[in-house]
Amino acid sequence: MPSHPLRVAVVCSSNQNRSMEAHNILSKRGFDVRSFGTGSHVKLPGPAPDKPNVYDFKTTYEQMYNDLVRKDKELYTQNGILHMLDRNKRIKSKPERFQNCKDKFDLIITCEERVYDQVLEDFNSKEEELSQPVHVINVDIQDNHEEATLGAFLICELCQCLQHTDDMENEIDELLQDLEDKSKRTFLHTVCFY
Amino acid sequence: ELLNQAALIPTDEKLTVLKQVQELIINKDPSLLDNFLDEMIAFQTDKSIEVRKFVIGFIEEACKRDNELLLRLIANLNMLLRDESVNVIKKGILTLTQLYKVSLQWLVRTKVISEMQEACWDMLTNMKGEVLELLDSENDGVRTHAIKFTEALIIALSPRTQDSEVPKRQENDISLDKVPKDHSYIRYDTLCEEGKTALEKLLKFMVHPAISSINLTTALGSLATIARQRPMFMSEVVQAYETLHANLPPTLAKSQVSSVRKNLKLHLVAVLKHPCSLEFHGQISTLLQDLGMPQSEIARSTPALREQRKRPR
Repeated sequence: MPSHPLRVAVVCSSNQNRSMEAHNILSKRGFDVRSFGTGSHVKLPGPAPDKPNVYDFKTTYEQMYNDLVRKDKELYTQNGILHMLDRNKRIKSKPERFQNCKDKFDLIITCEERVYDQVLEDFNSKEEELSQPVHVINVDIQDNHEEATLGAFLICELCQCLQHTDDMENEIDELLQDLEDKSKRTFLHTVCFY
Repeated sequence: ELLNQAALIPTDEKLTVLKQVQELIINKDPSLLDNFLDEMIAFQTDKSIEVRKFVIGFIEEACKRDNELLLRLIANLNMLLRDESVNVIKKGILTLTQLYKVSLQWLVRTKVISEMQEACWDMLTNMKGEVLELLDSENDGVRTHAIKFTEALIIALSPRTQDSEVPKRQENDISLDKVPKDHSYIRYDTLCEEGKTALEKLLKFMVHPAISSINLTTALGSLATIARQRPMFMSEVVQAYETLHANLPPTLAKSQVSSVRKNLKLHLVAVLKHPCSLEFHGQISTLLQDLGMPQSEIARSTPALREQRKRPR
């Protein structure tokens, strides 16, 4: 086993659904986990597809919750958004933007290709200091509640496998391929440097 | 007293105490550094991997604080580079990457080199050679670290020019142009050759048919960094990208091919944006098109032609 618990970051677009679902499960399983979004704003579904609720990353989950209760309590109860925000505020106070985080991780898991690209872009635009590697893996997850749950379990399985390797960097390639076969999904995988 | 405590307690607490001592003798009161050096270094034989990694970090900080300590500590780092744990070796490589540059800078500043300093540099040169050999290590993660070491070595052992992109943090780093040609012990020509040899090694490493996707990715990134910081190697880098694109290793799985191609695209765009890549724009655009990038996007990433120097007729 690695000599310390893996430091994991789970990243989606708004740090609401997919990354928070995984954050929830991973922290219950004892991982050193944080979650982020890469979007410029936090977007939640609104009354119509072209009318999303848009917040900045400074808004707390609690504030969003209250805002949506005020706007249309029934709608946001029915579509599960209030439930989700309620879950989120019990994990942490507000969404965090990946690009603003200065902490270092061993493993970054993204929830869609666009987010993966943004994470890579962020590493590319920053100056490298330590040459310390971090593995970035993309697991495609559709942005709805059911898929987020399934995706979170898959991410959890992935993290558990990696945590139990004797030498993660030496075994990660093979492990990912096994998990690809087993889950019938494909993962993008690269290494970036701090 | 803290150090006496540290010898007896479990690893987690030991690390906390050792970090306190390091903070005290390196940052708060460096006059204590000399007194407690041996006691700190004694932990290099600790059974915990984390403690041994800590000692490596301590060696790095101590030598950066007081360059003279290189004379005493480089042998310890040398020993830790042969540790039984790959995690300790990897940490050792990261630290050597830093200390190799620090040492060169220190020796270049010194007019008259002592025998001790000569021995220290000879040992570093040996260690450098050994880490380059680790490109062939059986361990994938060790190879990744060896690639990053090679990248830093190539950049240190080649001259910075006016077209070099220089990251802010590396502004004060040593590079070949700062090495005097008449130095009493450090030979400019030898270093220059060593830098070129390192680049050859890296290029050769990249075309190994069984290279892992992660190491291929790492090497692609290193080449982009080299091209941007040392544009005199631009042609070798573009050539290597072309060769790779035409002959992706057969051992890569389908999803790995997608990951590598995505990385190649990213690095090609970074090179394309560099003013010295002008004569390679044709080659780079073709590659990017093959990788599925729309012409309009390629055009957007290409720097405006007005930057081109006017050629006399």
